[in-house]
Amino acid sequence: MTGDTRRAPAQATSIFKGRAGTERRFGLLVGALAVAVVASTWLAVSIGAIPVALPQTWGIVADRLVPGLVPRTWTPVQEQIVWDFRLPRALLALLVGAGLAVVGAVLQALVRNPLADPFLLGISSGASFGAVLVLILGISTLGGLPLSAAAFAGSLLALGLVYALAQRSGRITPSRLVLAGVALAYLFQALYSFVLQQAQSGRAAQQVLFWLMGSLGGARWEMLPLPAVALAGGLAYLLLQHRRLNALSAGEETAVSLGVNVHRLRLTLFVLTSLLVGVLVATSGAIAFVGLIVPHAARLLVGADHRRVLPVTALLGAAFLQLVDIAARTVNAPQELALSIVTALFGVPFFLWLLRRRSVDRAVTVA
Amino acid sequence: MRLDLSGVSVRLDDRPIVHEAGLRVDDGEFVALVGPNGCGKSTLMRTIYRALRPSAGLITVDGDDVHGLSWRESARRTAVVAQETPAELDFTVGEVVLMGRTPYRLEGQADAERCARALERVGLTDGADRVYATLSGGEKQRALIARALVQETRLLLLDEPTSHLDVRHQLEILHLVRELGVATLAVLHDLNQAAAFCDRLYVMSAGRVLAGGPPGQVLTPELISEVYGVRAVRRTQLVFERLEER
Repeated sequence: MTGDTRRAPAQATSIFKGRAGTERRFGLLVGALAVAVVASTWLAVSIGAIPVALPQTWGIVADRLVPGLVPRTWTPVQEQIVWDFRLPRALLALLVGAGLAVVGAVLQALVRNPLADPFLLGISSGASFGAVLVLILGISTLGGLPLSAAAFAGSLLALGLVYALAQRSGRITPSRLVLAGVALAYLFQALYSFVLQQAQSGRAAQQVLFWLMGSLGGARWEMLPLPAVALAGGLAYLLLQHRRLNALSAGEETAVSLGVNVHRLRLTLFVLTSLLVGVLVATSGAIAFVGLIVPHAARLLVGADHRRVLPVTALLGAAFLQLVDIAARTVNAPQELALSIVTALFGVPFFLWLLRRRSVDRAVTVA
Repeated sequence: MRLDLSGVSVRLDDRPIVHEAGLRVDDGEFVALVGPNGCGKSTLMRTIYRALRPSAGLITVDGDDVHGLSWRESARRTAVVAQETPAELDFTVGEVVLMGRTPYRLEGQADAERCARALERVGLTDGADRVYATLSGGEKQRALIARALVQETRLLLLDEPTSHLDVRHQLEILHLVRELGVATLAVLHDLNQAAAFCDRLYVMSAGRVLAGGPPGQVLTPELISEVYGVRAVRRTQLVFERLEER
């Protein structure tokens, strides 16, 4: 027991030998995932009713960025399809997939519950309510922008209500946050179901249903900047906070004893994730399972340290939703499947496997 | 002195839990806090490390009001080893220990060396890459002590650090903490153990600190029967001592 402490500095590196190996593996993993993100996006841009060969998609993109750089080997129709429809859609898939996954990872740490996902806080139900109102009342669905604005307004309304219910003298606790979120989710679901039921037009109702289950079909270039900025800003902030996130996921009292202002951190994380969900759901509807399963997959790969979990979650989520969207467009072509159908087909088996593999029981009781 | 409490009262949900508690811990001292279940020991400890706020009274560490310090600064002065262990997330032991550096700037290699030294000191030399959740109870507590060590504080709070451990591991942990030489306030359940390890001890009952001083003077049969409602008899019994080598 009375170890020779003088040897300690020399041994320091050997004790943490595994660390260097872990860092190298982490680097390789991030590289591989980045390649997967690019490859899946490339694939997404060339696959479709009008196929565009893989090299040509590069050419079209290069020509748009630097006109005249490469000889034109494609038709104007191909160019329009790739540049106006498939590319924004593919980029939106990356943003939404990364964003929902990161929000899930943060919420799982925030409420210390492995079942937490972006829809736990009722924000997406609020967004859906806003979207349903616009779609049914038929204000305008052209361009998707009024729809996004209404969905975002709905998510802000939900955010305010959840916060009002979950806080007591300005402080929020995980259990109150979950209860308030779940209760408001049911309320908003009831509200938009009522609106749907009253709807006269069957076509509008079908459109709503499709939107509620997630679709990237409305992607346009002008829809990209807001989610891109929100995701980049949010991810940068979260990475800066990775040690506080670690402390928080180890428990409230542990975090306090490690010098974390838990109440302020929780509030910041709640507002940040809510705004991010609002922005994402407004563009693509409510896509289930991404925020639930991707963080778990990331932790299986790199452990629980948020410095590694967050980037891996973002890349994994982006590549995953890209592949899901490709499947949704092609499996039943020319009909598109709602994204939640595809994510559930992948997600549920994975989740059942996870459930069998780990004893989730103990952790679930925490909230 | 390191830690000084005077007139500290704490309310939980508007119920008074601790009344005008006072105690102090001097440099290098090991002070025990004992008392029956529900007497307010843990509440008092949580108030010292700022999980709770006192409704009255003053808590100072190194002469400064703890609740007036920044969160980071109070964590640089006080480290905590509590019963509560991290949830089922897959942190490795090295990551758990590194959390002790949360109140400081990141220093890469220097932090790795601090963690390695702390792990060596608690006897978990080859454990850095093991998953914390897979450790035994005694190893978990040692990892948490290592985390407190890298926090480099001069006051250590232990809230029932040995309650899940068998007798051998209890002794090991207490020996380990004693040998650190850091000012320590420890909530302990076992009165004999508290008497054997501490320089001084305080007895709490119904939210008040009733008595304090060297264990031989404080733990009288009269006080014990008043506080715990049991009759204490001094007699020969099994005494456990840690063997020096395994």
